[in-house]
Amino acid sequence: MSPRSLLLPLLLFAAPALAADYVQAPGSALTFAGKYQGEVFTGKFPGFATRFSFDPAQLANAKLDVTIPLATATTGNDDYDGELRGDDFFASAKFAQARYTATKFRALGGDRFAADGTLSLRGVSKPVTLEFTWTPGAKPVLAGKATVSRLAFGVGGGDWADTGLIPDAIAVATKVVFTPAP
Amino acid sequence: MSLKNPNERWGAVSQSFHWLIVLLLLAQGTIGLLMGDMARGPDKIAVYAFHKSVGITILALAVARLLWRLYAGRPAPVPGTPAWQERVASLMHGALYVLLFAVPISGWVMNSAAGFPLQWFGLFNLPSIAAHDHDLHEFTESLHEWLFWTLIALAAAHAAAAAYHHLFQHDATLARMLPRGWLHAPSQENRDVA
Repeated sequence: MSPRSLLLPLLLFAAPALAADYVQAPGSALTFAGKYQGEVFTGKFPGFATRFSFDPAQLANAKLDVTIPLATATTGNDDYDGELRGDDFFASAKFAQARYTATKFRALGGDRFAADGTLSLRGVSKPVTLEFTWTPGAKPVLAGKATVSRLAFGVGGGDWADTGLIPDAIAVATKVVFTPAP
Repeated sequence: MSLKNPNERWGAVSQSFHWLIVLLLLAQGTIGLLMGDMARGPDKIAVYAFHKSVGITILALAVARLLWRLYAGRPAPVPGTPAWQERVASLMHGALYVLLFAVPISGWVMNSAAGFPLQWFGLFNLPSIAAHDHDLHEFTESLHEWLFWTLIALAAAHAAAAAYHHLFQHDATLARMLPRGWLHAPSQENRDVA
């Protein structure tokens, strides 16, 4: 037998354990919103990528891994974006991407769940809880929300720490459409 | 002192509007010309926010002033003023009123076109009055400054005319825009004596 024909049965054997492995499909979005001078601004992270192992019946095995490029984060306002990606906020030249990982999941009833994960942003790793709904199907959908303290991660620290100008709480929302991992 | 405008001089309300707006414009123009050179950062944002707040204040005062002017009327022309001078002065006053509105409104449009919030002294927000548009922002940025310089030029001519009337014509043109007794208008006194 060739090595290849040996590999195939192995993969088939391993497949059931990985049945709930997903990757992100088109139609997904990761957005954020905050306030500046009393007015709400919104932005998005194009190019974020999600891998998710999830079976509502086996939360102990669930695993979420999201990578978020920062140099392309945009609010739709060039003046804001320059500052946002610059040294005082995301410092995307130094910290190219943020990452959110979670292995602890809780059922909140019905299709609602919470992930107690860790956000690594700008060289700081801190716990962040993501609450989400899970819509199963051929293309399951995760729709979730989290609140991130920008100052906990040094985003807009120093002179920009004034929460009268930019409040600390940043609302993050995501909708991820999944397809089974190849 | 009468609140409304008696026939021979400006009343207290009109005088207050006039001089308060003069002071605010001088401060506002100075801030506006200097703030662009500040280093980017929260301090610059705070100065811009202050400039915008003062601009909105001037616009609100201009509205109130115009309404008051329509209600309270204006004194008769200073006796002895040639008709052509009276006409030029009226045109000047009209132009100053137009600019008193145009300068802050152009700033408001500029701010809206840039997509920035507009907050009055941190207390409440005002809506955008134009779409977020790069070209419109560039255009109104120049317009705002040119309108400002036009206002300054006309206001300087207006002030020079008042000084000329006071110093060379010796009439009450300037004195009657100030509280009674602050300035002597010799020709008025002469007339009173005569």
